[in-house]
Amino acid sequence: MSAEQSKSVGSAISIKGVVKEFTRGGQTLRVLDSLDLHVPEGSFEALMGPSGSGKSTLLNLIAGLDKPTSGEITVAGARLDKMSDAEITAWRAANVGIVFQSYNLLPVLTALENVELPLLLHKMTSAERKKRAQIALDIVGLSDRMGHYPRMLSGGQEQRVAIARAIVNDPKVIIGDEPTGDLDRNSADEILKLFEQLNRELGKTIIMVTHDPEAAERATVIRRLNKGVLA
Amino acid sequence: MIPYQYNLRSIWVRRVTAIITVLGVALVTAVLAAALMLAAGVKKSVSVGGQDDVAIIMRAGATGELESGVDESAVGLVLSQPGLAQENGKPIGGGEIVVVVALDKLGAIGFSNVNMRGYSDQSLKLRPNLKLVEGALPKPGTDEAMVGRGILGRFKGLTLGDQISVRKNRPLRIVGVFEDGGSGAESEIWADVVTVRAAFGRQSGVSVVRARLASAGGIEAFRAVIESDKRLGLKVKSEPDFLAAQSEGLSKFLTIMGFIVSLFFSLGAIIGATITMHAAVAHRTREIGTLRALGFSRYAILMGFLMEALVMTVTGGAIGLLAALALSSTKISMMNPATWSELVFALAPSTQAFVTAGLFSVGMGLLGGFLPAVRASRISPLAALRS
Amino acid sequence: MNLPGLAVRNIYRNPVRLALTVAGVAVALLTFVTLRTAVMSWDEAKNYTLKDRLVTRHKVTFVMDLPKNYADDVRDLKGADGKPLIRASTFLNWFGGKDPAHENDFFATIAADHTTFLTVYDEIKIPDDQLKAFNETRNGAVVGDLLAAKFNWKVGDNVTLESPIFGARENGEPWAFKIVGLYSTTSKAVDRLTFYFRWDYMNDGVRAEAKDRVGWIASRSVDAARAAEVTAAIDKRFDDADTQTLAQDEATFFQGFMGMVSSVLAIMSYLSYIILAILGLILANAISMSVRERTNEYASMKAIGFRAKTLASLILTESTLIALAGAIPGVILSYLIVDVALGDFLEYNLANFFPVFRVKFWTYAEAVAAATVIGLFAGIVPALTVARLNVVENLRRVA
Ligand SMILES: Nc1ncnc2c1ncn2[C@@H]1O[C@H](COP(=O)(O)OP(=O)(O)O)[C@@H](O)[C@H]1O
Ligand SMILES: [Mg+2]
Repeated sequence: MSAEQSKSVGSAISIKGVVKEFTRGGQTLRVLDSLDLHVPEGSFEALMGPSGSGKSTLLNLIAGLDKPTSGEITVAGARLDKMSDAEITAWRAANVGIVFQSYNLLPVLTALENVELPLLLHKMTSAERKKRAQIALDIVGLSDRMGHYPRMLSGGQEQRVAIARAIVNDPKVIIGDEPTGDLDRNSADEILKLFEQLNRELGKTIIMVTHDPEAAERATVIRRLNKGVLA
Repeated sequence: MIPYQYNLRSIWVRRVTAIITVLGVALVTAVLAAALMLAAGVKKSVSVGGQDDVAIIMRAGATGELESGVDESAVGLVLSQPGLAQENGKPIGGGEIVVVVALDKLGAIGFSNVNMRGYSDQSLKLRPNLKLVEGALPKPGTDEAMVGRGILGRFKGLTLGDQISVRKNRPLRIVGVFEDGGSGAESEIWADVVTVRAAFGRQSGVSVVRARLASAGGIEAFRAVIESDKRLGLKVKSEPDFLAAQSEGLSKFLTIMGFIVSLFFSLGAIIGATITMHAAVAHRTREIGTLRALGFSRYAILMGFLMEALVMTVTGGAIGLLAALALSSTKISMMNPATWSELVFALAPSTQAFVTAGLFSVGMGLLGGFLPAVRASRISPLAALRS
Repeated sequence: MNLPGLAVRNIYRNPVRLALTVAGVAVALLTFVTLRTAVMSWDEAKNYTLKDRLVTRHKVTFVMDLPKNYADDVRDLKGADGKPLIRASTFLNWFGGKDPAHENDFFATIAADHTTFLTVYDEIKIPDDQLKAFNETRNGAVVGDLLAAKFNWKVGDNVTLESPIFGARENGEPWAFKIVGLYSTTSKAVDRLTFYFRWDYMNDGVRAEAKDRVGWIASRSVDAARAAEVTAAIDKRFDDADTQTLAQDEATFFQGFMGMVSSVLAIMSYLSYIILAILGLILANAISMSVRERTNEYASMKAIGFRAKTLASLILTESTLIALAGAIPGVILSYLIVDVALGDFLEYNLANFFPVFRVKFWTYAEAVAAATVIGLFAGIVPALTVARLNVVENLRRVA
């Protein structure tokens, strides 16, 4: 099996010649320039780089939240650049889990209900939904906080709920945009441990943006993005 | 004080909400202003053209021309009294008879009553503004009639060339259309006094006598003479006084209804303003705390937010008034209980209507803005530090 | 947890706003119901009229009366087959009486032929002994029980009225009446606020030229289904006379009066639409504000994979539910204030204008339906905004 083959067959994420430009006030800003990236299945990667280098933009493309100006993006076997918005939305519901820097939990829902939320997108009995959400919360170590509302949780706990929400659908790929950015050292460590565990025990492909070199050390691969180009 | 730009800009930031609030206030103000303009319109149309030197002589107990009756014998007696203006050695004045006829409404179900006035050539002398706009004057002694421009075409039969029946085989033919400076007469049908008396079996007398006084100041002396004769049982009113009384009931009714309705409507608008201001305050807790930390007083914050509410409601008020003003050419036909018959009138813009409605919009701002402003003024400077 | 559940929870997030919105919707619906009921009360009153009761009046104007012999002619009217068309008939005059002691209170005073009156208005109930007294007392009057309560009149009281229409009695004496009875009614077709007295007493007192004239004739036809035929027969009977008549069944007669109030009714209809517009503004304001505050949450939900359609329906559900939350207290408030309080007040005190002032079931239904539909529409713009929400843009604001 050649190196080239293993890349495309075993790739969770495959990006070829992707260009992303933003046009603002008549000016075109090229944020990503002919970018290639291959993330093998089961890899845990950290993405670093100065602010404004295009890290979030790249993650958004991988999550199907945004579309490239040109180039190919294949994630979990789907050609995102060729899909319609509706298709991407449906695909996203099943294939990616997203963890935000600021958690973005719904304040009116309990921890358990927040985790259940993505399951509403799938046909499932409410009992089954609940069971799966409980399992996800158990994985992140919060089975004792299921009835708590976000405001009753610490930042680290909120982020763990967000991770449970990201994995409850059993997606192949998990992406996190500075998931530990708002957290203190200890909480950040717990989150990173969780990511490692998800990667090792459940085989999730994880790609995570971070500014924190310690966090990046936990990943199996560290990539650096500078001015739209991967180093 | 907080610089006013701060509040103005924050209205702009929340412009969708602000526009919705402004529209609500505009609707309420327009309703109130329109109601007051209706009331003013009734007054204006009933009393326009009232002349100080014209006296109306009617039965002592009567409140309107319809109820009044003056015997034939009394008419001559009244006109022979001193104090009346003369022309060719004869007093200017004469009897008029007022009856109502029930006619089918056009464009609405049912019928309504229309005033019919039997007049003589003397009546025309007492109404200098009355002029024919179409057709011809009815010939005396015939079954011809003319119709006021106001009710023209609003009832079955009231068009030029058409006819209305008042007696078997003796229809009144409409041969003319007249106007009278927008007065109540424009809502009447006029026919020869002899014709109307015959048609309505009123041979014994007329409804009222109208006469021109030698001078406007002479009315007291004239009244003293007429009213002192108890056998006549008559009273004397100056035309403006008489007309004012004719519009009182309806204009009062419209004013009171307008206020009641607007009061209920304004509750909605006030709640709308409160919702908007409440959100404006809730969202700026940190900003307000910062202002307090910078040294602005509670009072300054209170006033700033009240002003923010006022800017919205006063803008709404102004839009509402403009909308009401746009209605001012609309003609309305309504039954005037004082005459038992339909009166056609236009909404009349009046200073009073504008001032009242304007103050109403200010009131809505103060009421709607008060609680949120108090809440804002209670925010602690420490709020600035919270995230 | 399910999506409607989430909508419900979102509603409770801002209790102050929820309370204000609910109050606003409730007050607006109360106003709406009041206006609609006032407009409909005229229609409603028509339902109490009798199809076999006919009213015959002067064709041209209400200010003119009819010769008394017309009443006899109507009563004796026969059809082509020689069979009677009328089974009961009476005649009445509007007296326009005013009580100097109650100068500003309007009440109806009607002179009625006491011998036939109750055969035509059989909804009117007078105790037997009082009816006997009415028949035996020439200046006797029977008064509606509500009117008597209002003016504190009792059987046996003497009342003197003035009439601007007829002036004093011919002999110079005042119009002095003795209240010999109080009546109640079994139907809302007749109000309980009228002062009825004997027609013969009135006829004694009026001037010579007003004698033996009747204001209008009220009759019962032998068959309600033949109302049109009978009224036509009445008018035809007097077609060649000096004075023509206009005979109508009670419902048509009543409907005719709509013309006098049609502009007021039209204005009230317009106003009822304006209050719905205000209701819409209140709801649109509240919902657009809530959605704006939660933009980031909707963005995250979109990122998770919720479709635009789902989010839009979430918002529409919320706005409709808020409208309903206000509609329920609005209906309860309307029932208590309009149906119970205002209805009783108007039916007792202003029965001449509002014989029936009760909220119809359909008016409640209309109010709730209007609120629901308006609630749905109020959510459309915010729902579209969220549906079009650009996830990347909105998440960027936070991250
Ligand atoms: N939606 C957008 N419109 C315009 N410019 C954007 C947009 N998103 C990102 N950018 C620009 O692209 C560049 C990269 O942004 P981003 O990917 O957020 O950087 P990073 O996450 O690495 O800090 C920045 O200069 C940013 O201003
Ligand atoms: Mg970033």
